Amino acid sequence: MKLLKPSWVSHNGKPIFSVDIHPDGTKFATGGQGEDSGKVMIWNMAPVLREEDEKNETVPKMLCQMDNHLACVNCVRWSNSGSYLASGGDDKLVMVWKRAAFIGPSTVFGSSSKLANVEQWRCVTILRNHTGDVMDVAWSPHDVWLASCSVDNTIVIWNARKFPEMVTCLRGHTGLVKGLTWDPVGKYIASQADDHSLKVWRTVDWQMEANITKPFSECGGTTHVLRLSWSPDGQYLVSAHAMNNSGPTAQIVERDGWKTNMDFVGHRKAVTVVKFNPKIFKKKQKNGSSPKPSCPYCCCAVGSKDRSLSVWLTSLKRPLVVIHDLFDKSIMDISWTLTGLGMLVCSMDGTVAYLDFSLDELGDPLSEEEKNTIHQNIYGKSLAITSTEAQLSTTIIENPEMLKYQQERQNSAQANAGPGSAGPENSAPKLNSVMNGESLEDIRKNLLKKQVETRTADGRRRITPLCIAQLDTGDFSPALFNSVPILPSGSSMSSQLTNQLSSDSSPGQGLRPSHDAMLTSPPANSAAKGLEDNNDGVKSSLLLTSASKIEPMKALDSRFTERSKATPGVTAAISSTAGLTPLDRPKDAPSVLKDPKTKEETSSDSEDKMAAINKNLAFGKRKPELLLDGAEVVEKRKKGRPRKDKMAASMPQPFPQITPPAEREPSRVSAPPAPVAVLKLPTPSTKKAFGLQVSTEPSVFLEVENEVSVVAGSKLSQLRCSRDGRDWNTLLPSSVVTAAGSSDVLAVACEDRMLSVFSSCGRRLLPSIQLSTPVSALHCSAHFVMVLTAGATLSVWDVHKQKALVKNESLLSILSGADTSVSQSLLTQQGVPVVGLSNGKSYCFSSSLETWTLIADKGDSLVQCADFRSCLPTHDAPVSSGPLAVMQGRNLNAGRLASRLSSTPHHLQQSMTLAFLENQLASALTLQSAQEYRYWLLIYARFLVNEGSEYRLRELCKELLGPVHKSAATSWEPTTLGLRKRELLREVLPVIGENLRFQRLFTEYQDQLELLRNK
Amino acid sequence: MAKVQVLNVAVLDNPSPFGNPFQFEITFECMEDLPEDLEWKIIYVGSAESEEYDQVLDSVLVGPVPAGRHMFVFQADAPNTGLIPESDAVGVTVVLITCTYRGQEFIRIGYYVNNEYTDPELRENPPLKPDYTQLQRNILASNPRVTRFHINWEGLADKMEDSENVDPSTNISVCFVDIVLLFGNRCVVLTAAFHHDC
Repeated sequence: MKLLKPSWVSHNGKPIFSVDIHPDGTKFATGGQGEDSGKVMIWNMAPVLREEDEKNETVPKMLCQMDNHLACVNCVRWSNSGSYLASGGDDKLVMVWKRAAFIGPSTVFGSSSKLANVEQWRCVTILRNHTGDVMDVAWSPHDVWLASCSVDNTIVIWNARKFPEMVTCLRGHTGLVKGLTWDPVGKYIASQADDHSLKVWRTVDWQMEANITKPFSECGGTTHVLRLSWSPDGQYLVSAHAMNNSGPTAQIVERDGWKTNMDFVGHRKAVTVVKFNPKIFKKKQKNGSSPKPSCPYCCCAVGSKDRSLSVWLTSLKRPLVVIHDLFDKSIMDISWTLTGLGMLVCSMDGTVAYLDFSLDELGDPLSEEEKNTIHQNIYGKSLAITSTEAQLSTTIIENPEMLKYQQERQNSAQANAGPGSAGPENSAPKLNSVMNGESLEDIRKNLLKKQVETRTADGRRRITPLCIAQLDTGDFSPALFNSVPILPSGSSMSSQLTNQLSSDSSPGQGLRPSHDAMLTSPPANSAAKGLEDNNDGVKSSLLLTSASKIEPMKALDSRFTERSKATPGVTAAISSTAGLTPLDRPKDAPSVLKDPKTKEETSSDSEDKMAAINKNLAFGKRKPELLLDGAEVVEKRKKGRPRKDKMAASMPQPFPQITPPAEREPSRVSAPPAPVAVLKLPTPSTKKAFGLQVSTEPSVFLEVENEVSVVAGSKLSQLRCSRDGRDWNTLLPSSVVTAAGSSDVLAVACEDRMLSVFSSCGRRLLPSIQLSTPVSALHCSAHFVMVLTAGATLSVWDVHKQKALVKNESLLSILSGADTSVSQSLLTQQGVPVVGLSNGKSYCFSSSLETWTLIADKGDSLVQCADFRSCLPTHDAPVSSGPLAVMQGRNLNAGRLASRLSSTPHHLQQSMTLAFLENQLASALTLQSAQEYRYWLLIYARFLVNEGSEYRLRELCKELLGPVHKSAATSWEPTTLGLRKRELLREVLPVIGENLRFQRLFTEYQDQLELLRNK
Repeated sequence: MAKVQVLNVAVLDNPSPFGNPFQFEITFECMEDLPEDLEWKIIYVGSAESEEYDQVLDSVLVGPVPAGRHMFVFQADAPNTGLIPESDAVGVTVVLITCTYRGQEFIRIGYYVNNEYTDPELRENPPLKPDYTQLQRNILASNPRVTRFHINWEGLADKMEDSENVDPSTNISVCFVDIVLLFGNRCVVLTAAFHHDC
């Protein structure tokens, strides 16, 4: 074992509360106290690992520092993917950071430090919910969730795929929650708090699985953190501070029954942090010795308030190593490298230590496959979804087209990927592309003249700032402002800018490579130099000339930091609004934050909080039911099926169940009401007059005035229509109840159940149609007219062909049950009628199949669980206007529940998604919605490609390609919904090309398409 | 965390004669679209001794601010010499740039400013009454002093809380307006009744 204390890793002597090594092992983050704020720093790992890099002054040590936390940072954690960093601090916030691929290093504007940030990490989201200091954060396996715990006694689970969405808040602890760990299998999350308990929560329903209190009953709340850890095989959970016979221990909790029979003993003071090595080991096979099969074991590091560190192997009874006096103060956090051989430890004393182990000491780490086998054996599922990808990477690409798509995919992946994969050099965007070909220098020269300045209504100046880079459209334009102190004098500035531009992407190109030890890239060197020169120059002259004026400068210093009182004159208007806000804002943030933590307060009023929490808890239990889709509840009630498990909680339930029998009294049973009466749909009431905008392009407006005149005892109604400014009107012998129109036809239904259809110019197209019952809903679309009558029948006519498409079809079959009604109806441009019911289901009547087909069901669990977000096209906006999307509504929240279910077996989710996508395709087909069909087809294809369903993919391709050689017997249609199938195939093929596994399939169809094209 | 980060302030036209307008080229970055304008102010500290002599040289609204990186030049006229104490005209003082959002100041950037005569003769024997035409203003551009304040960027929750904290008299006026809107000509009676309740 080698031990190193890199002295350069420091927060200027301030405590370092947390350390975490990036999954790729190239950098690590520390979190702790900054000058007057919290501080997160990112460091280069290379100088820790290799002495020559530490001595090499061109290798940067510090990569980035972020002062955005307003108070001490208690925890920093990299996501498993490595693209995000989460930090939580005493400012009650969790911040999530992502690397922005800027070109150059930068300094924080106004900071005295000359150290540049080599990498740019920007806060992409701030998670606010906690009402107290955030003590620990943890990413779930596969980065589905991010959990944070706080001294507000809660744990918040955030949706890591949709920040800042909150999944749930786990309440139940009655003390400060100081540590979190996820079960590597993803089934549980465990938390340890000052309330003498360790709780395990299920991720399926976010309820408590186990509450372990016995080993903690003697514990006092003396540690700053309680970072517990779960073993990589998932079998053991090891707590921080526990007590056994008045001695401090780290309690081992077995997954099987949450038994607490073993512990790690030996530390003289409370255990603050436990961290399992991510690897599982097996005994190193010595040369010569007989290879006897040994049990795999785990390795665990334990850090304590007694300033010592112990490393344990689960196969040994005693610690592998104990290191005393490594630090002057309590150990705060431990992080292993992913290789399992390196470890960083940080301490309250503000230092960090690195431990390097050899394979001889720890054993042979199992490969990922072997680890997966273990998981597979214990839990029946593998944790590595991507394991097949790795195997494929060695496959030889046989088809040049395939190579192209593979490369495109890699490129786009690289463009999307933040840190690690793409260095700043290759992902650096071109300056010109952002600036419309105009250089930044030009823009700056004329900015004052060019910028748009207006006056507001109250006469104030308003400047529209010039946007020089948009956020998150790829990356920012080169960070010239950050890296170069811009000097006002034109010539020097431009020369510096050109330097910057010409050399930005080549750190090796030496301007003055040896000048500044701390920086790697030459532009920054020159920049820093420039700053220094300029600085010194001005300062010296200033000091020379104003030596006598030193005193007032001190007096002036306070002015820099004190916030202005409402400044007189100019700000009269503002001060009134400002008067509203300052009440709850800290008067002087920095000084307040320097105060010692006020945790005592939080803990002392925890009693009061208890009551509130209990209330919340009771409410929390009912919540899942409230979340149930309304439609589903209705449906269940309707069928009168008692819900066993939910009876207790839902009080109003009995009433609807009792009432139906009451209605059906024995006397009525003999004479059942006519079906027409039962299924009566609501009819619009007759109004004196109404208007209707039929279409906007061309602009058609319809006005109806009933009973305009009485001629020979019959009342006449007037229908007036204006189309592009030209009017026409006509008279009808009865009051008009409802009207509808499209750009082609207009239809009105009258009180006497007559339906009249006119052309857009007012010509009557059809003789009056007598309807069997009054009209309930009337729709026109293109040259189709749809009528839904109160008697629950549906008719659709094609006005051009003067033919019925749907003839008095009854809605009986879909309106099963008493309280279902039609909530929505529409007619597509292709003349397909669609009816949405109050139970959340939508049907369309397929005239070819002559039956009702279900196209959407809001309560469908497939809709809720399907997760195809990874298959969504990036460049195509989702089709939101098609009939399918309209009927499914915004409820179609792709994978709303999917992330919650990700702990369910992968194949189940896969099947659900597949079923859902196929439903969508079929629905789009029935609705004859070509755009939606294409949209879902591409998603479907991408999903099949991602999931590797070759049979389905092949069948799909076959169907799209059709027979290559014409034969009379074939019934293959070359088009579907007006889309040419082979064109669709041409769109699908590049998707297939992205997965190397399908290269044979790809080649096969690519060749056939070529063949057909040449014919 | 602040939604707006000031990345750089470049002091243009510096040093310059005292009467020239101040010009700051400000580059800032915004994390998300801001529904309201930013308000920037340039404050000239006339005397170190007292805030009385502070002059707000100008204030501008800057907007709309979508997420991204932006720049603009803030130009403001030189201070009104009549408001500067004669004893403080020559020497070191401070100019402040502040930015507020929803009426809350979140950043304050301060620069030392040195006003001195360019003419060595005048420098040796400065006139009793300062000759502003001969004064040169030199802003110590390389050493900005930046102070950041924590503010509530959301505004909504803030206002809610505030409405509870505002003193009753404001509350009444708010209600009064609502009543006017709701009941038109009957407001007088209703207001009287309301007032009674309060």
